[in-house]
Amino acid sequence: MSDVAAASTTDAAAPAPFAMITGDPSAMVCEGDVCYIPGTEPGE
Amino acid sequence: MAPATRHRANLPVRGIRRPNHPFAYVVSEPIKIDIWSDIACPWCYIGKRHLESGIASLGEDAPEVDITYHSFELAPDTPVDFEGSEVDFLAKHKGMPVERVQQMLEQVTGVAATAGLDYDFDALQHTKTLKAHELLHFAKEQGLQLELTERLLRAYFTEGRHVGRVDELVELGAEIGLDADAAREALDSGRYAAAVQADIAQAQAYGINGVPFFVIEGKYGISGAQPAEVFAQAIAQIAGERDGAAA
Repeated sequence: MSDVAAASTTDAAAPAPFAMITGDPSAMVCEGDVCYIPGTEPGE
Repeated sequence: MAPATRHRANLPVRGIRRPNHPFAYVVSEPIKIDIWSDIACPWCYIGKRHLESGIASLGEDAPEVDITYHSFELAPDTPVDFEGSEVDFLAKHKGMPVERVQQMLEQVTGVAATAGLDYDFDALQHTKTLKAHELLHFAKEQGLQLELTERLLRAYFTEGRHVGRVDELVELGAEIGLDADAAREALDSGRYAAAVQADIAQAQAYGINGVPFFVIEGKYGISGAQPAEVFAQAIAQIAGERDGAAA
């Protein structure tokens, strides 16, 4: 788990005006009809 | 961006406690939290609970927060009426292996239970959420967006209600205090369709591909249904930084 101080800026492909707080890298997100851990294949 | 909905997370403290400051409490602006979410997103409801738990865990030191929900339609190609279960939809309509679908649903049901949510995927009625998002924008104008968000998520995931039909949405809206006739007019007219699309476009501009996605004070992004302690830590630290900057 990381905190704000350890936040890194988003990558160049994401022109978001905010820094990302990594938190728990295994936190689930939903995209389309499936939910998955970022960095893995959807449905894994 | 539309005005935020004020939310105190049922906490009595308006400002940030500063024990070493001449004034015990400094009244400050609420911390703004923007959340991109979909009613049909199981991890969005779990993430909502985790955020609420994280804020509550700060106790008296919790800053006031303003939470605004933004539309994110996970599956725009979903029909309003789908005859079948969630497993049927994902397996037959989307071509996913049944075993994988069942594993996914069992996993999310288990995590939801630990967050105090009783998901019922057997009763769930898969549907298009566009109209639900329109009603959420109407509710935001009425100062009832948070109430409607909770009501729709509960209706969808735990009660098997159909949140794609206007009649059902109007009924659910009325339960949390929306005027039924005005809600129906808002949905029938499509008056809030543009606001829904504006939220979705904003997400795309931010590079948000998945939900839930939290933006705190417009400066920090948090992706996914993070544990409560992540939200607590982030909010406490951001409040501390702001408090320090204001000193």
